[in-house]
Amino acid sequence: MAMTMTGEVQLPASREVVYAKLNDAEVLKACIPGCEELIKSSDTEMSAVAVTKIGPVKARFKGKVHLTDLDPPNGYRISGEGDGGVAGFAKGGATVALTEKDGGTLLTYNVEAQIGGKLAQLGQRLVNGAAKKVADDFFKNFQAHIAAG
Amino acid sequence: MSSTATGIGAPVRRKEDFRFITGHGQYTDDVVRPGETKAVFVRSPHAHAKIKNIDVSAAKKMPGVVDILTGAQLATDKIGNLICGWMIHSKDGTPMKMSAHPALAASKVNCVGDAVAVVIAETTAQGKDAAEKVIVDYEVLKAVIDPAKAQAKDAPQIHADIPNNTIYQWHLGDAKAVAAAFAAAKHVTKIDLVNNRLSPNAMEPRAALAEYDEGTDNLTLWNTSQNPHVARLVIAAFVGMAPEHKLRVIAPDVGGGFGSKIFIYPEEVVCLWAARKVKRPVKWTSDRSEAFLTDAHGRDHVTHAELALDANGKILALRAKTIANLGAYMSTFSSSVPTYLYATLLSGQYNIPSIYCEVDAVYTNTAPVDAYRGAGRPEATFVIERLVEVSARQLGLDPVDLRRRNFITAFPHQTPVIMAYDAGDYNASLKKALEIADVKGFGKRKREAARHGKLRGIGYSTYIEACGIAPSQAVGSLGAGVGLWESAEVRVNPTGSVEVLTGCHAHGQGHETTFAQLVSERLGIPFENVSIVHGDTDKVQFGMGTYGSRSGAVGMSAIVKALDKIEAKAKKVAAYVLEAAEGDIEFKDGKFTVAGTDKSAAWGDVALNAYIAHKFVGADLEPGLKETSFYDPTNFTFPAGCHICEVEVDIETGKTEIVNWTAVDDFGTIINPMIVEGQVHGGIAQGVGQAMMEGVVYSAEGQLVSGSFMDYTMPRAHDLPSFHVGLTETKSPSNPLGIKGCGEAGAIASPAAVINAITDAIGSEDLAMPATANAVWSALQRATPRQAA
Amino acid sequence: MPAVSMTVNGKAVSGNVEERTLLVQFLREQLRLTGTHVGCDTSQCGACVIHLDGVSAKSCTLLALQCEGANITTIEGVALSDGKLHPMQEAFREHHGLQCGYCTPGMIMAALDIVRRNGNDLDEHTIREQLDGNICRCTGYHNIVKAIAAGAKNMKGAAA
Repeated sequence: MAMTMTGEVQLPASREVVYAKLNDAEVLKACIPGCEELIKSSDTEMSAVAVTKIGPVKARFKGKVHLTDLDPPNGYRISGEGDGGVAGFAKGGATVALTEKDGGTLLTYNVEAQIGGKLAQLGQRLVNGAAKKVADDFFKNFQAHIAAG
Repeated sequence: MSSTATGIGAPVRRKEDFRFITGHGQYTDDVVRPGETKAVFVRSPHAHAKIKNIDVSAAKKMPGVVDILTGAQLATDKIGNLICGWMIHSKDGTPMKMSAHPALAASKVNCVGDAVAVVIAETTAQGKDAAEKVIVDYEVLKAVIDPAKAQAKDAPQIHADIPNNTIYQWHLGDAKAVAAAFAAAKHVTKIDLVNNRLSPNAMEPRAALAEYDEGTDNLTLWNTSQNPHVARLVIAAFVGMAPEHKLRVIAPDVGGGFGSKIFIYPEEVVCLWAARKVKRPVKWTSDRSEAFLTDAHGRDHVTHAELALDANGKILALRAKTIANLGAYMSTFSSSVPTYLYATLLSGQYNIPSIYCEVDAVYTNTAPVDAYRGAGRPEATFVIERLVEVSARQLGLDPVDLRRRNFITAFPHQTPVIMAYDAGDYNASLKKALEIADVKGFGKRKREAARHGKLRGIGYSTYIEACGIAPSQAVGSLGAGVGLWESAEVRVNPTGSVEVLTGCHAHGQGHETTFAQLVSERLGIPFENVSIVHGDTDKVQFGMGTYGSRSGAVGMSAIVKALDKIEAKAKKVAAYVLEAAEGDIEFKDGKFTVAGTDKSAAWGDVALNAYIAHKFVGADLEPGLKETSFYDPTNFTFPAGCHICEVEVDIETGKTEIVNWTAVDDFGTIINPMIVEGQVHGGIAQGVGQAMMEGVVYSAEGQLVSGSFMDYTMPRAHDLPSFHVGLTETKSPSNPLGIKGCGEAGAIASPAAVINAITDAIGSEDLAMPATANAVWSALQRATPRQAA
Repeated sequence: MPAVSMTVNGKAVSGNVEERTLLVQFLREQLRLTGTHVGCDTSQCGACVIHLDGVSAKSCTLLALQCEGANITTIEGVALSDGKLHPMQEAFREHHGLQCGYCTPGMIMAALDIVRRNGNDLDEHTIREQLDGNICRCTGYHNIVKAIAAGAKNMKGAAA
């Protein structure tokens, strides 16, 4: 089950600040919905634990997050794969681009994701909605974080 | 008509119903053994992956866990693989290529749902909790799902030893004769069809309960099986679980099968193995989510077919090329379905001089595919009945007329594809169906519908099937690993009541009733005094089970033969009782009489005397009254008939309603018309489901998208009309009762009738199953693109 | 584990259950009332329909603890007090409204509630629409619909 999603969010900070925050594990941990753990093992690799609920299936995903195509302060690509055990798996990535706009930064994202196992079997009709909510929540949190400085 | 209220032909109410309507049925999950544990399987979320490591250490510490077993241990214990029991040879003479199918995958998973480990726990909930903690490290591989792409050079290789994922490339018929006929044909009709993959969805999910007796070293398996003896044979002889005489298989009440419970599944093997390891009973009950992933699916053919006709609409030849998707592993009888159960029926009810069919069977990263109600014959019927209907439309002929011009009218009839039809009257069932369906009034109804914005269409399906499976020598010559006779044992008790032990298995068919009707009529004893025993390998010596509409034609014939022997023996006893010569004893209506006298003995007297043995000595006659028979049929049987479907399509939405359904079937002798009609109804519903609602969908990555009743559309009460069912009768000459079989007819006939009706309504042949509202609406748009408003 | 008490088929029963235990599990596994069946895990099939305080409900969708103090009727409690079959049970047998029997208890329990809601004179359309929550794979519904119509009629005046 593959899906794609795009969106944008206007942030009241420079691209440099936004880019730095996007590389800050503490910030990411605070902003990723359901994130219980995010440990940076190198500049481009993190291990994460997050709880997600899609329809009737709730699972704790353990996985790795990779940062690639690093191009400060224009953006990067963040990708990851999570194993939810019996619930199945999720993997995906997002290309994040930062452009200057209205004295701040316009962040545009392009997400593609794949799910499998029970998540796909029972939750597939809800996945797009659930994924959109995760993305919306993340950027809402991120926006709030940036606004708070 | 029946000679008695409970004899052959009477609509006797079913013996089995009382327990079911009061909640006292005993299905496998209802059986509880002391000390029972529960099995929960850890299944692959990936369609195709290498297993790098399985870590059960954390899971083993979870509460209630008794043990956790993996595929590696299964291999260490030398538990054998599951097998496919029907050998098919490719056209180049090479045997089919069957990959290993371990009950638990040890090194590689090949479809979503493949089991890699099993948790044995005190409760199912604890088992599920622990299963969450089993960590499986997979290396994900590319998957191939589409059977049409499985043989491509760049397709992922599913089994290392099976090149191009190709199991066999089989053919049947005379390619040269067909080519010549096509070259000379006035008209050629070409169609491309997909016979959609179906999930069988018997309402009772599969289950297995295994118990090991340390004292005797005996294993017992309760399972949801249509053929417990075959399960025992395979699990003993091929899987090597236990010697056959140390394994008892009991299939108690079984809640529907439709083919899916014929097969031997990994979970049964694992429960038996685990029960011996943990020395406690182990029960597994599938939930519906598992059922969608692991029950063998049905159909899944991609076919190109062509029909050659002359200027008068006479069929000259047929050719078809089919790719059959058998999934990730070869299930028990999977190889036979797209070959000898399919291509052999491509002649339909028609006189077709030559036929050629090629079938490639392929592996894909999907659940195994095997027999599902009709098994091959619905696929064949869909090909020929779509070809005939489309041909008529292309030639501007009435589809009924085209059929009549080509019907086989003389019997026996040897088709070019093995089958020898022995009896039938296709015009009779067509004529009756045309009357019941009021086809004459269709034009008026169509005009009336048009006034309400509806497109009304009518579709026919004059189907044939081969049932009463099957003569052992014949199926043996075609590759079957078993004979397909049936056994019966008739035990007369000293009080005259009778138990019949049959190797058939009932899971909705009502054998306890119909088999008792036969015995009641034949022995002239009350219906209530007859019990039918089935489904236990300790009670019934051997049998082949129930599928392929075989229980009447084969199973009841075995009972007839045993009853013949009972009557002969009882006459000997009666001769002593009545002090007359054996040759003078007549038996009628449950009474023995001495010809030409008024001397008689009741059935019960003779039965009692057979056991007390006071009137004869052992040297002259053995005491007792019990006889066994093994009946091997002389031919398949050939039920046939005509189904007519009338639909109305909403032009704006594509929503299609079946407004009239007529089924006229020739099943030969009918034992119980009430039960037969019920079988027809159910078959039609499943066929309509295939045609309009059902379809297994995997994503390109191999995730099962249609994995619950939320997403896989099962026909519900308001999706279907009431059906008009009629019967015609020509007796089958191939068994003593003249029975042909009725279990699959509805599912075989109906998909073509539905699609022929909808395509008639919308005026386009470009419509695939399932013809959902969306599919029909899209077909309408393609056929008549809307003008911009 | 918490305790739960309820009345099932007229008898007071109690037991200790996990919070997550479903009513259908309590009925089948603890009370051994195995007439109530489980045909799916998404509340779609209706094999588990029982009556909760006189109204049909899917027992796979209720926690046992939710039913504290409730009055539950299962298929085992439908037959009349004199041991005779209920007219609706009788109608299923008379009209061959069952084959494998697995969906049957849920069908009968749903049918009784259709009669409660719509009265004794049921047309085919009403029955088919209102049977939406129950799946049968064997009968094509033809005879189930007939059985429910007949059963409903026969319940008129009968002590039900």
